[in-house]
Amino acid sequence: MTPRIVRAVALVSLREFWRAPDAVFWTYGFPLLMAIVLGFAFQAQAPQPLPVAVIAGAHADALAAQLRQSPRLAVERLDAEAADRALARGRLALLVRATDDGPVLRNDPTRPDAELARLLAERALRPPADDSAAPLSVEAEDRPGSRYIDWLIPGLVGLNLLGAGMWGIGFNLVHLRTQRLLRRLVVTPMRPREFLLGFLIGRGILVVPEAAAITLFGVFVWGVPFRGSLLAFLLLVLAGGFAFMGLGCLLAARPRTIESIAGLTNLCQLPMWLLGGVFFSNERFTGVLRWAVEAMPLTHINRALRDVMLEPTGVAAVVLPAAGLVGFGALCLLVALRWFRWT
Amino acid sequence: MTAAATAGPAIELRGLRKTYTKGKKITVAVDGLDLVVPRGQVFGLLGPNGAGKTTTVEICEGLTEPDSGHVQILGRQWHQGDDRALRQRLGVCLQETKFHEKATVRETLVLFASFYPGGRSVDEVLALVSLQEKADARQASLSGGQRQRLAVATALLGRPELLFLDEPTTGLDPQSRRQLWEVVRTFRRDGGTVVLTTHYMDEAQQLCDRIAVVDHGKVIALGTPAELIRSLGAEHFIDLDVEPDALGTRVAAADLEALPGVQATRLSGEQAALTVASVHRALPAVLELLAARGIALRGLATRHATLEDVFVHLTGRHLRDEGAA
Repeated sequence: MTPRIVRAVALVSLREFWRAPDAVFWTYGFPLLMAIVLGFAFQAQAPQPLPVAVIAGAHADALAAQLRQSPRLAVERLDAEAADRALARGRLALLVRATDDGPVLRNDPTRPDAELARLLAERALRPPADDSAAPLSVEAEDRPGSRYIDWLIPGLVGLNLLGAGMWGIGFNLVHLRTQRLLRRLVVTPMRPREFLLGFLIGRGILVVPEAAAITLFGVFVWGVPFRGSLLAFLLLVLAGGFAFMGLGCLLAARPRTIESIAGLTNLCQLPMWLLGGVFFSNERFTGVLRWAVEAMPLTHINRALRDVMLEPTGVAAVVLPAAGLVGFGALCLLVALRWFRWT
Repeated sequence: MTAAATAGPAIELRGLRKTYTKGKKITVAVDGLDLVVPRGQVFGLLGPNGAGKTTTVEICEGLTEPDSGHVQILGRQWHQGDDRALRQRLGVCLQETKFHEKATVRETLVLFASFYPGGRSVDEVLALVSLQEKADARQASLSGGQRQRLAVATALLGRPELLFLDEPTTGLDPQSRRQLWEVVRTFRRDGGTVVLTTHYMDEAQQLCDRIAVVDHGKVIALGTPAELIRSLGAEHFIDLDVEPDALGTRVAAADLEALPGVQATRLSGEQAALTVASVHRALPAVLELLAARGIALRGLATRHATLEDVFVHLTGRHLRDEGAA
C-alpha cells in the first residue's frame, strides 16, 4: 500500500464533495435543519395521553371514573361496535368493558402503546396497595380486521405509492437531466406536457401491480380482510399514485444533481414516513402536528385505503378523497411544468 | 409558410452576445458575433474549446437565450410564433447526450420518430447511419462511434432542412469519424444544410464548404477552406528542427524571411515554421543559410498549409491549446 496514493485519492474525494454545494447542504445543512425543526416540534411537550375506551354498559361510569385517575389516559365511552372499529383503526390503545367478574381489558399487544395503556389501566383499576383485589382479565385482540397487521398492510400500500412516485418519478427525471437527455428531447417538436404525461403513464402503470402484490400478500398470507369495493381500492391506488407522481415531478422540476433530488425527496418523504400513519396511528395528534398530518397526502390515502380494506366501503365513499388526491397531483404537475428545467 | 421561411440564408446572426455569470465572475461566451450560413452547404464553426461555438449553436437551436442580438433560423425567429413548426425542420445532435441505457437502438429511434410525423422510417435512418446490424443492441453495448451515429440518426429522422452537429466526432477513432463524415456528405448531397462545430481542422477541411473561425466569441475569419489557407499568403510550410540555442541567436527570423520564397517565419524553441510560396525556391536557400551559419539540422519536413496554420496565424495559439478560451 502506497500512502501517497491513498492520500491523493482521499483528497480528490474530499474536494469532489466539498466543491458540490448542494451535496454539502444535504449532508450537513439538512440534518441540522431537521434537528432544529423536530427539536422545536417535540420540545417540552407533555406525553400524549393514551386513548382508552370504556364500553357502554353497567358499571361503565364507575370504570371510566377510576381510569380517569391516571392523567396518562384519555378515557371515552363508546358503544361496543364503535369501540371495536376505533381499536381496529388504531384510534384506541385499549378497550375496557365491565363484566360480572370484573373489568376485562382488550388490546392488540403488537401495536405501539398498547401494552403501556394496559399497564396504566391496570394501575388505575387495581392500585398496587390493594392486594385483595383479583387480577384483571386481559384479552388479546386477534380477530381479523382488528389486528395490527390488518392496520399495517393498507399503510404499506400507501407507503409504496409514495416511494414509487417520489423515487420512481423524481429521481429518474433528474437522472435524465444529468444525462442531458432532457436537453436533447426539448429540441425536438415534442411538447413538454406530452413528455411528462408519457413518463407518468409509463411509471404510473406499475403502481397497480405493486399495490396488488402487497395487498394479496396481506390477504393470503396474513389473513388480512378485504371488506370494501375492489373498484374503490383501484381508484384510490391510481389517485394516490398520481398524487405522489405529481409531487415527484414537482420536486424534480429544478434540481441538476442526484444529491439535490435525493435531499429534496428525503425532506418530503421523511415526515410522511414518520407521521403519515403508516406504522402508528396519527389520528390522535393535536395542534400543529394535527395540522401537519392532515396536510400530508399520505395521511389521506392511508385513511381511505383502510376504510376500503377493513370496512365495507364502496366507491361513493372514496370519491372525495380520490378527487382531493388527483387535484393535489394535478396542481403539483402544473407547477412542475411551469418551473421545469430542461437544460 | 412565408417566402422568408423557404428562401434566404439558413441562419442569420447579427450582434449575438451571451454572457454567463457565476458569483462575481462574468464570462463572455459570445461577443457580438455576426454570421450568415447559406442554404445547401456544410458550414463549419472552427475554434478551440471554449471559443463560443457550442453557445452559438445552442442559441440557434433555441436551447439558449442570447442576451442580445438578432437570430433568424430558416427565415423564422424563436418565440415569435410556432416554435414546434421550426423544430420540425431542424435536426440536432448535441455535443453530449446519453440515451436510455437499457433501450435498444431501434427503441430509441422509435421514440424520436414519434416526434416527427411524416419523417423518415426507422429502417431508413438505420441504413443511413449503417447501424442495421445493431438495431436490437442496447445502448450499453454500443461503441463510442456507434453511439454517435445513433445520435446523428435521431437528428435525421424528421427529414430536417438544417442539421446541427456539435463536435460529432470528438473522441472517435478514425474509422468512426470517416463513417460519420459520409453521413454528413450524403445529407448535403440531398440538399440539406449542415452546421458543424469542430476543433478538428482536418474534419473542417474535409467536410465544410465554408468555415467561420471562432475565437473568444467572435468570428475572426470566414471563407472556404481554400480561401482561408490562401489568406496566409502561401500554401506551403517548411518545418525545421535545429540544434539547441541556434534560432534567434545565430539565425534570426528576419534572416529567414529575407530568403527567396519565404513569406513568414515562426520560431519556437528549436523549431521554425516557415510559410513559403514555393518550396523548390525556398528550401535550397534555407539549407544554404543554415550551413553558412554552422547550424546543424536535426529534422526537416515540408507540408501543405492547413486550417491549423490559419488559426495559429490569426491568434498565435494552436487550436488544441488548453485554456485557449
